[in-house]
Amino acid sequence: MADGRAGGSFGVPGSPGGGGGSGSHDSGGDQSPRSSVREQDRFLPIANISRIMKKALPANGKIAKDAKETVQECVSEFISFITSEASDKCQKERRKTINGDDLLWAMATLGFEEYIDPLKVYLARYREMEGDTKGSAKGADGSARKDAPLPNPGSQLAHQISFTQGMNYGSSQSRAQHMMVLPMQGTD
Amino acid sequence: MRQPGAYSGLLAGGISGKTGPHSLPLARIKKIMKNSNDEVKMISGEAPIVFSKACELFIEELTKRAWMMTLQAKRRTLHREDVASAVMNIDIFDFLVNLVSENSGKSEDPQPVTEA
Repeated sequence: MADGRAGGSFGVPGSPGGGGGSGSHDSGGDQSPRSSVREQDRFLPIANISRIMKKALPANGKIAKDAKETVQECVSEFISFITSEASDKCQKERRKTINGDDLLWAMATLGFEEYIDPLKVYLARYREMEGDTKGSAKGADGSARKDAPLPNPGSQLAHQISFTQGMNYGSSQSRAQHMMVLPMQGTD
Repeated sequence: MRQPGAYSGLLAGGISGKTGPHSLPLARIKKIMKNSNDEVKMISGEAPIVFSKACELFIEELTKRAWMMTLQAKRRTLHREDVASAVMNIDIFDFLVNLVSENSGKSEDPQPVTEA
């Protein structure tokens, strides 16, 4: 069972990914050495970061370049942090595709509960637009379909409904898998 | 031929025009997700969309917290040290502590600070 090693991987959710290859298992082949990853693949564009930062400041506020670069690194770290937690969950549940639910779950688990509601609103709006544009239940870029062996639009629909309606993290963790990794939540 | 993605219609002329409804590039987000962990193989189309908004919220929060540090120091320009202080002060940013402390040591040294 995967249960045996489940506790270990969640024992250090706070360990940053910046430590290099300490988290990777020894599979022998190094398919992508981190040093060779191009900068533009590791970070979001600084112009976008800067724009969002400016929005958060009063009009007279200025931002030094080093602050932008630091935030840029922090954002990549944020993505990795959340993704790793979500990825662990998927592995435990023997799923291959990380979906939006997994990310929201990971954010709630790691202390970003406040993001959940705005994200749900954002996603609902996106889905409305997606529906208008395509009028079908296809996955956003096709990768979502790989998760579902049958081309059954009904299953995707069910997933979407569960996503928008069943997101009461911290209070309704009814599935056993979730209970295992959420020791702090679901009690109140 | 590359198939247009589900959000290509949105990207072409979405809510905010050029970049579509998302303020951060989805392809880049996906790359960073894949770089983060060898186990990350497949990512649903929705995942980068969730992140595009989540990162926006994250940047806003980090910036606002850092700006409070800037004001406390009676400055009007937000510097890296303000971001670092914000990270040190707030629990949910714990995972960034190593990153900001590494940073400050690395890039502060070569720049001699002008004395008042």
